[in-house]
Amino acid sequence: MTLVMVVDDDQDLAEMLGIVLTGAGIDVDLVSRGDEVMDVFRNNPPDLVLLDVMLPGLDGIEVCRLIRAESMVPIVMLSAKGDTQDVVKGLEAGADDYMVKPFRHPSELIARIRTRLRRTNADVSGLLTIGDLAIDVQAHQVTRAGKQIALTRLEFDLLVALAKEPGRVFTRDALLSEVWGYRHSTDTRLVNVHVQRLRSKIEHDAEHPEIVVTVRGVGYKAGVMGGS
Amino acid sequence: MNRILSHIRNSLAIKVIFSTVLLSLVVTGITGSVLNTQLSAGVKDVNLSSALVEARSTIFTAEYRFLLAQGEKDSVVQKVVDDVISSATTLTSNENTREVVFLRSPGNTRENNYEIASNLLDPTSIPSTLSERVRKSPDLVYQYTNMNYLSGIRVKGLAIGQKVQIPNAGQYEMYMIFSLANQEKTLDLISRSLFLGGFILLLLVALITWLVVRQVVSPVREAAMIATEFTAGDFQKRLKVESQDEISTLGLAFNEMAESIEKQIARLENLSRVQQRFVSDVSHELRTPLTTLRMASEVIYSTKDTFEPIVARSAELLVAQLDRFEKLLEDLLEVSRFDAEVAVLEAVDFDMVQLVQRCADDLGLVAKERKTQIYVNSTEPVIMIKADIRRVERILRNLMANAIDHSEEMQIDVRIVASEHDVAVGVRDYGIGLDENALNRVFDRFWRADPSRARTRGGTGLGLSIALEDARLHNGELEAWGRPAQGAHFVVTLPRNTWESIDQRLIPLQPEDYKA
Repeated sequence: MTLVMVVDDDQDLAEMLGIVLTGAGIDVDLVSRGDEVMDVFRNNPPDLVLLDVMLPGLDGIEVCRLIRAESMVPIVMLSAKGDTQDVVKGLEAGADDYMVKPFRHPSELIARIRTRLRRTNADVSGLLTIGDLAIDVQAHQVTRAGKQIALTRLEFDLLVALAKEPGRVFTRDALLSEVWGYRHSTDTRLVNVHVQRLRSKIEHDAEHPEIVVTVRGVGYKAGVMGGS
Repeated sequence: MNRILSHIRNSLAIKVIFSTVLLSLVVTGITGSVLNTQLSAGVKDVNLSSALVEARSTIFTAEYRFLLAQGEKDSVVQKVVDDVISSATTLTSNENTREVVFLRSPGNTRENNYEIASNLLDPTSIPSTLSERVRKSPDLVYQYTNMNYLSGIRVKGLAIGQKVQIPNAGQYEMYMIFSLANQEKTLDLISRSLFLGGFILLLLVALITWLVVRQVVSPVREAAMIATEFTAGDFQKRLKVESQDEISTLGLAFNEMAESIEKQIARLENLSRVQQRFVSDVSHELRTPLTTLRMASEVIYSTKDTFEPIVARSAELLVAQLDRFEKLLEDLLEVSRFDAEVAVLEAVDFDMVQLVQRCADDLGLVAKERKTQIYVNSTEPVIMIKADIRRVERILRNLMANAIDHSEEMQIDVRIVASEHDVAVGVRDYGIGLDENALNRVFDRFWRADPSRARTRGGTGLGLSIALEDARLHNGELEAWGRPAQGAHFVVTLPRNTWESIDQRLIPLQPEDYKA
């Protein structure tokens, strides 16, 4: 069974989240303080973390960084603020996705969680190469010259989405629906921040990307490096 | 010329120097000409009296010698005349040339003629007015005249004459004419020196004025510069106060003002921070329970089929009102962000046509419920624009939702027109429209056209005022037109590039289909 760790200091909301998730057939681990997260996390590793930004003890952004330091588990931030700065800070700290309270529908939350848990790209098999990177889709591994590069599940999905069709230009909206499972959203910050994070891991020089290339005014594409 | 004049008008230093020099010019002019007159009068006086003394003694000597030659032969008399002339015209050093003229008095009909003028001087150099006065006067008479030589030379001179008796020849007039060339030179020198002195004095006055003015003007200029920088937002700027004069008083006053403004601004900034903080706190504190409420109501709603009809309906109402409450909270927070001036633009490139189409599609269901339909019409298939897509979408949704609410089951036309620089979207409905009073207040917060009308589900009364703020945040404009029962027309015009301002209105506010 899937286990989701819910980190929120508001008892009622945490309980409600518990009810909704349990109703959807997901096990829930409730944590109410930021500084307690890592202990629980290590004892009982969840499949996904639902993390509030404002927490007593240690704030959500800090917690997010700590989790990212030792795990690639999907993290969805819960934020009461829609303000860009907080959202971008959360994403830069390693969150894969975020939801602004109040959510439109509980079903929306569950859909997001399922998207993050789902094994994407099941249709793609075998080995993809892009630039000097080798991507083993089944094994969820990216290697450069035999050396493995650690990517979060979302970064991996983003890279595979681009690498499947090298040269095709993806709009940010297209990537949002492909990777995040949003039917339509205008929030392109998600894409921008994650492309930056991905680049910092896979590019030789993140300032002059050669693998994930920006197409000005449109979106991104997987660059085809000379000779490969 | 105009440029120079305006330059003079605009520079305090030049203005002061200009007027000082002008006044000094008048003063030195008057002083100079008075000095010139007095000096030349003095010089002339001195020359005149010395000439008179000399003439008197010469003529006296001549009369004496003529008296001695009484009864001598004509040849002796002739020699005496020659002697008189040669001794009178012999120059001592550094003296003016002088000439002697003997003229026969009219009425003298004696045979012997001793009329003579020395050194080829033209005897007509003696003015006839002088001759007449000499004949009437027993004493010396003088007059200024020109000395005309037969060779053509002309010199200013002073003629002094008296009657004399020449033996055997009757009455003659003896004249001495003194050249005034040296005097003229002296007078010339005096006036030239005065002129040069005046000129140098003027230059010095200008220079001194410039130095003094600079002393006053440069602190003023500096103050102006500091004030400009202060206005531009550098509130740390202060004037240096080094002396204890009026300029430093100005500096102190300015610095006090700057201090007070800086404090005031700091206070306002603090207020704005407090406001921002408050908004953020309210947001957080309200949203968390609202999230719980939302989820609880959804859980209840999803099982409403098992409830009694009354409870089921209550669950529906609960969900609907929570929606509305949430929307209202969202709008209030947005409005308070605008009021605190902390709303920020997040510009991205996107296709306006696609966005308008999507909004129209999303609202299609609501439109259908109200038995109307939205038609989108664009001049171009793709119109790229760099703007805050979230805000633009909100403007479009607000305008379309508003049109649907007032459409009276008539269609809604959405037009998109773009130029190189701007893009405009017009939303036209043919419903109940707006009267004059409504037009003036349509963008007011919580204002409703007709309070008795049923409130639309989801409307907060803040939609249009937020749309207006959103448009203005883009340096764009949102305008409304309407006539009772003729529908309404809302046009939003945005620059295609953030931070630029709009060039022109691409869609006329009064719809082309409307005939007044």
